[in-house]
Amino acid sequence: MYKKLNDLITNQEADVILRLSDGAYIPKDEANTDYQEYLEWVAEGNTPEPAGD
Amino acid sequence: MSVAINGTNGITYNDGSLQPSAPVGKNLIINGDMNIAQRGTNVTGITTTGYYTVDRFSQVVSSAGTWTQTQSADAPTGAGFYNSWEINCTTANASLAAGAFLIANHAIEGFNLQQLGYGAAGAKTITLSFWIKSNKTGTYILGIYRPTSGRQISTSYSISVANTWEKKTITIPGDTSGTITNANTEGFRISWWLGAGSLFSSGTLNTSWGANVSANRAVGQVNLADSTSNYINITGVQLEVNTTATPFEHLQYGQQLALCQRYFWKWTERHAFCAMAAYSTTAIYGAFVYPTTMRAAPTWTGSANADLIILMNSASVTASSFAVEIITTNSARIKIVPSSSRIQGQAGWLETVSGATKYIQADAEL
Repeated sequence: MYKKLNDLITNQEADVILRLSDGAYIPKDEANTDYQEYLEWVAEGNTPEPAGD
Repeated sequence: MSVAINGTNGITYNDGSLQPSAPVGKNLIINGDMNIAQRGTNVTGITTTGYYTVDRFSQVVSSAGTWTQTQSADAPTGAGFYNSWEINCTTANASLAAGAFLIANHAIEGFNLQQLGYGAAGAKTITLSFWIKSNKTGTYILGIYRPTSGRQISTSYSISVANTWEKKTITIPGDTSGTITNANTEGFRISWWLGAGSLFSSGTLNTSWGANVSANRAVGQVNLADSTSNYINITGVQLEVNTTATPFEHLQYGQQLALCQRYFWKWTERHAFCAMAAYSTTAIYGAFVYPTTMRAAPTWTGSANADLIILMNSASVTASSFAVEIITTNSARIKIVPSSSRIQGQAGWLETVSGATKYIQADAEL
């Protein structure tokens, strides 16, 4: 499972995804292998939790 | 001073010393002497794929036993090495399922392979040399896979004498088909097969560069997972553009650490991780610049929030939450929500509390 995050300073969606299983912060960089796994997870029809508390 | 060119092994100087003939940086393998182990030196209970101990070398395992990995002090005598990568079987699987596999991998970034000239006439021959030791003798498979072109080659070698260090040299021709993308993506995946189910071993070994066929990748491979007595040690891994193996290129520790940190770094020092300032009463921000530019924007993980403290206004403040809002290949913007309200504009710094298990790390491995 993953969760989107907000950037407090820009008040926009952050370019980082939170992986809930281990608290890892994953950048939206297609060369990052964890982000590649996230994209595959989304392609399988899954949806991350929305940003916010 | 005089020198004698030895076309096989390098240059012999008049003091009798043999020096490599290739320029500095000839070894395309990073951490081939297994000296860097930022993640730790001993991990038990390994049943899934990952990087566990020595940097840049991963264990790829699926339904093929349980393993302990160690950065070992066992190394070939007189060869200039004092570490090896050791993998010990703790739960055996004597009969591998069709899709099971056990592999030691090293991935090389495409940027570092362009000198090979693959995909065109004149593609260079390369030679891989390494030291290996195991109780289990027999046929082993070394393969190289190129993910972007789907090209693959395998070759077999033997571990001939049990419990004895042996040096292996494997020469691989250039491939005039299929380029290696000039990018930060995976160019080579070098695989020391240690166990293979029939899905990877039921065909004919693919001893020439060609399209990847799973069944042809590890034909004849012994099963290192078939006994809890089994282990393997590897060190002195060198890949060079050459038709023969030259002496191992020993880098200084700091050079090698910096090369490894392009892919992974781990902060375990207690003091002064980065400077921080209170952006508001409830948010403290800091920018951390990495030890070196990383291959890709890295994944950040760390120990618990309770392990982090901010020293600010003559007080120590614990973190009720930690987040990384921007991550680039060079730096990251860190946000801490303090456990008690702060005064906007106050400055301080971030530390971990004392203890060997407290850490922050960033991972951009292939």
